Amino acid sequence: MRKNLLLIVWLVLIMLTICTALVSNSTLVTKVAVTFILVLAAIKFILVANFFMEMKKAHSFWKFSIIFYLIIVMGTLLFILK
Amino acid sequence: MDTSTINSKNIAYPPGGILLWIIIFLELFTFGAALVAMALYSNDEPEIFHQSKLLLNTTFGAINTIFLLTSGFFMAKSVENFKENKIEKATFFLKLTMVGGVLFLLLKSVEYYFKLQAGLTIGYNTFFSFYWMLTLFHVIHVVVGLVILLFNYVGFKRKSTLNLEDFEASAAFWHMCDLIWLLLFPVIYLLF
Repeated sequence: MRKNLLLIVWLVLIMLTICTALVSNSTLVTKVAVTFILVLAAIKFILVANFFMEMKKAHSFWKFSIIFYLIIVMGTLLFILK
Repeated sequence: MDTSTINSKNIAYPPGGILLWIIIFLELFTFGAALVAMALYSNDEPEIFHQSKLLLNTTFGAINTIFLLTSGFFMAKSVENFKENKIEKATFFLKLTMVGGVLFLLLKSVEYYFKLQAGLTIGYNTFFSFYWMLTLFHVIHVVVGLVILLFNYVGFKRKSTLNLEDFEASAAFWHMCDLIWLLLFPVIYLLF
């Protein structure tokens, strides 16, 4: 399982990308779709940082910095976009 | 090759090195600020932003996302094999990483060609000013990343003294290109 962890993360990332494409093409209410797309992007960001960049093994300061950054940027975008 | 491991739990030694991570956060905040600025401008011209977004090829954007994610996967596999002192496998995965980057640039070139053919240049409107500035700035990072990876690849082939710290730093820079694209694609191509 550990050996295939990177492969599993990659498959999840691809599925999330497909989900994002499906949501953006759907007729969901705009604000809901925007929130969903940004949340999916944040999840993908965290997966790449934690597993591909191995930040899961890093000091908590760096892990929290990544989360903090996402909250600031995604939160600001959600606040601004009508 | 020095494949000795580093204690990543130490705050001063995140994977890739503290200097790289300072650079990564600076880049992320720069791109983040630009995307927020784009969102702010979109409130002044929502219809223009929406119509302009429809002129983008989201399929190309999605395929490019898959190229970069797959390239990132191969980069992680390369580092994993380097740590296990499997240099040949690390070299193979590094080659695949670079192929992913080249494919991204090729598709981006095709996309740019179509935009220019349609007259959608940087001065066309505010949306496309942001589109060109952000995506070109990202492309420059991908090109620089590829050059860094090429140096690593040549080092592997010549079996020169490459240590884990340097290789992880190169990998971190490459993953940064992926992180930036994971923000650019949804905002520019999907949200307006």
